Amino acid sequence: MRSHALSLLRHMLDPQADFRPGQWEAIDIVAARRERALVVQRTGWGKSLVYFLATKLLREQGAGPTLLISPLLSLMRNQIEMAGRIGVRAVTIHSANREEWDAAEAALAADACDVLLISPERLNNDRFLKSVLPGIAGRVGLFVVDEAHCISDWGHDFRPDYRRIVRILQNLPKGVPVLGTTATANDRVVADVQTQLGPGLTVLRGPLARASLRLQNLQLADQSERLAWLAENLPKFPGSGIIYCLTVADTQRVAKWLQSKDIRAEAYHAGDDAHLDRPALEQALLNNEIKALVATVALGMGFDKPDLGFVIHFQRPGSVVAYYQQVGRAGRAVDRAYAILLSGREDDEIQDYFIESAFPSPRTMNEILDALAQTDGLSLNEILNRVNVTRSMAEKALKLLEVDGAVGIEVAKKTTRYFRTPNPWRPDLERAERVTALRRAELAQMQAYVTHTGCLMEFLARALDDPTAAPCGQCANCKGKGFRAEVSPALVAEAVEFLKRDELILEPRKRWPANLFPELKTVIPPDMQNAPGRALCYYGDAGWGKLVRDGKYVQGHFNDDLVRAAAELIRDRWRPDPPPEWITAIPSRRHPRMVYDLAERLAAMLGLPFIPALVRTGDALEQKAMANSAMQARNVQGTLAVAAGVRPGPVLLVDDIVDSGWTLTLAGWLLRTNGSGAVYPFVLARATARKT
Amino acid sequence: MALTPDSQAIVLLCSQVGLPVQPDPAPLTLREWNPLARKLRASALGHPGALLGLSVTDLKSALDLPEAEAERLARLLERGGALAIELERLASLGIWVLTRTDEDYPQRLRQRLKESAPAVLFGSGDRALPGQPGLAVVGSRHVDEASKSFAAFIGGACAQCGLAVYSGAARGVDAIAMGTALEARGTAVGVLADSLERAIRAPDIRSALARGDLALITPYAPNAGFSVGAAMGRNRLIYALADYALVITSDAEKGGTWAGATEALKAKWVPVFVLNSPNAPQGNHLLLQRGGLPFPDPFPDSPSTLGNWLATRASEAQPLPTQPGLF
Repeated sequence: MRSHALSLLRHMLDPQADFRPGQWEAIDIVAARRERALVVQRTGWGKSLVYFLATKLLREQGAGPTLLISPLLSLMRNQIEMAGRIGVRAVTIHSANREEWDAAEAALAADACDVLLISPERLNNDRFLKSVLPGIAGRVGLFVVDEAHCISDWGHDFRPDYRRIVRILQNLPKGVPVLGTTATANDRVVADVQTQLGPGLTVLRGPLARASLRLQNLQLADQSERLAWLAENLPKFPGSGIIYCLTVADTQRVAKWLQSKDIRAEAYHAGDDAHLDRPALEQALLNNEIKALVATVALGMGFDKPDLGFVIHFQRPGSVVAYYQQVGRAGRAVDRAYAILLSGREDDEIQDYFIESAFPSPRTMNEILDALAQTDGLSLNEILNRVNVTRSMAEKALKLLEVDGAVGIEVAKKTTRYFRTPNPWRPDLERAERVTALRRAELAQMQAYVTHTGCLMEFLARALDDPTAAPCGQCANCKGKGFRAEVSPALVAEAVEFLKRDELILEPRKRWPANLFPELKTVIPPDMQNAPGRALCYYGDAGWGKLVRDGKYVQGHFNDDLVRAAAELIRDRWRPDPPPEWITAIPSRRHPRMVYDLAERLAAMLGLPFIPALVRTGDALEQKAMANSAMQARNVQGTLAVAAGVRPGPVLLVDDIVDSGWTLTLAGWLLRTNGSGAVYPFVLARATARKT
Repeated sequence: MALTPDSQAIVLLCSQVGLPVQPDPAPLTLREWNPLARKLRASALGHPGALLGLSVTDLKSALDLPEAEAERLARLLERGGALAIELERLASLGIWVLTRTDEDYPQRLRQRLKESAPAVLFGSGDRALPGQPGLAVVGSRHVDEASKSFAAFIGGACAQCGLAVYSGAARGVDAIAMGTALEARGTAVGVLADSLERAIRAPDIRSALARGDLALITPYAPNAGFSVGAAMGRNRLIYALADYALVITSDAEKGGTWAGATEALKAKWVPVFVLNSPNAPQGNHLLLQRGGLPFPDPFPDSPSTLGNWLATRASEAQPLPTQPGLF
């Protein structure tokens, strides 16, 4: 069988190609012996080659198609092409390619598909279970579990769905082979995966260091310095690359800055589907049409560009393993590639937030279960109406409860409903604490990496228990030279200016939460909605954010610089059309003067009349205490009314900080229903990601 | 809990798990499985788990099967991947699977039904409940006030004297007797003909399952729709699981209750009591003529004595012979 496999390999690659160490062994275990193997090899080693060849051999023996479970959503075109050369046909089914499902199912039913690629969530999807699996008569010839380190709680990447995969593999009868693959598993993770998948698992492990990669760490505290550094140094890097950021807002900001410096960079993240063509962006990077994608980890596993020239981290990732995995995308097929880690002041704060918001509290979980137990099913919105929890935290809680078997999912009439199952549920505090402690330890290790003075590649390899770890001779520490941290002061000043002009658009809310106003329709009529508004900055950020924080909580007064910046934004950059003819503000009982004072000075600068047209009729709690939109809307309901003085012209509606946007929505609706023209909301700052 | 290899093989061969609605090949019926199980026991393979991973050729020679039959078995056994995925889904909904080879499989079904005991059972709730001492309560879906209150009395009495209520968990008599027993923190076992997946979602059912007071079982696929055949087919399980049966209302010569009760009287799985009152329907009187034991209405004693009363009256019933079961 080996010689046959080798001829297939040569057909796929080139006539002189040979197996790399470990490749044939893995194929032999799954395709000939039909047993289980775990392959721990660096990215680019050729894991896909192993499962394509194994699939081909199994199919020749009459086995069903391979089920490839991977959190990455698309096989890269070149991989599929490679498989196609030996007649292995791959099909993907995921939530974003609904239009291709019918064709995929038809191909499966006609036995015209050899590899079915799905995301882990699919395994509990109704259509997958009722239509796809029966379509192949349940014949799965080989299970491939990509990113198999996620099976272990000790892995750097916690994915609840992998617990389902483990239980499936534990239920899998003899004779159905399993191949797990990962590039990032230390000894503890490997041992844990072995325990969970049973003693019949053979581990094949290779060296992880990458000779072409030049690692360097630079510490630049302020965002403005890092932006300046990027603008100055990016053109010096070979080819195209990736700049990783920790938040979506940062990807947008960095991309915009680089564009302003005539560097071709685009933001890439998981949100905002309507405005982001992710496949096109990936393609642009693959074709070297852009210098860099500025991405969150959404651009991740499985993205394969052999000539990737650099990976730069604008902020520091949470673990050494995640960092290794991300920089491992560079330099696969080139002699020299760079991995630069910039780290700054905000890193710890962001990582803290990630760690603390990773697990919903047991109380939240129980509140959701209690709400579900009283019914035979609720939608997410119905849950948010009953439980004071953020949408994202509720989604996390539901995912965990679903994987724990406490909650079931049903999709009917396009609505997803969650229902309580009879399975008991107890919070696994130990697990949550274990994972949290692990994240803290990983963060500490990452902090140590940033200031490490020895070989950086060796540090990474050791963290992954690579027995061949040794000084690389390539990194900035080994060579004793690298990129300079210093940047031109003029460029830093420019970056500071940029940050100060990096205002945000406030999209108007278009619907009330269900049942908030029983007498109104949930859709707000377009002529009663606010126009798109503006926020000068994110609360607390490196541009104006610090001044806003200082004004709100230290001085009790917003200084004139802020008012001037606001006036410039409105008059010079925003220029609402038709222009506002008067100004009003959100009244506050807690700080009655602060916002009015801001609005009056702004009115004076813009030469418009200030009219306090709104009054408080009740006290709302601070919106910060409300965890989700439905709760926030309830909180402001009935707290505002219109006094005299509404004018018919367009109006600028001023507040200091926007959180949920419900106060502005309610105020705008009141103004419009009382005869005002278009309502343009303006706030100094937008609250950032909130903790629960 | 992961299935044993024997159970994996039986579920693959004898259940609908992971198959389309109109499967080709179809899973084995009991009538097909039983002779194969005998053959298997006599062969070098010895037990069902040994079938896993065998090719058509292996199956053909090991079990001396015709090509087409071996092909069918191989096709059914090949869906191990779907089995694993589907069992995991069922487990996360709170549904378990038992086969005749499992220790937890209700001993009474094996003993009393022998080869007609279902090869595969799906269930939810405490799997030790089916087989606990109890009374099978059967009757019509359409009930008058008198039978309603009688069914409620029986449910309450069972709870008081520690008998589980066995029923088909259908509307009418079943639901009333079961519901009353559960309200009084008694126990119940429902044997469903369809829709196990849906049934366990109703809030009161779900909480009784979670408390361990209720178990629901079915020999059919957990998502199976209603069929008359299935409704008839599960009747024998209700009788065979209990210590006694009580027919509250039955049509004469037609309907599920009648068919189930006459079968039970003939098979003598358990003593069958029949509600004997002047207002009882014609079917009740005919069943009494065919060997049903009269059950008085009103019950002459306090509800807590129901257990003793049934035991005394049934003492004349023949003890049942036992023999080891098949896979």
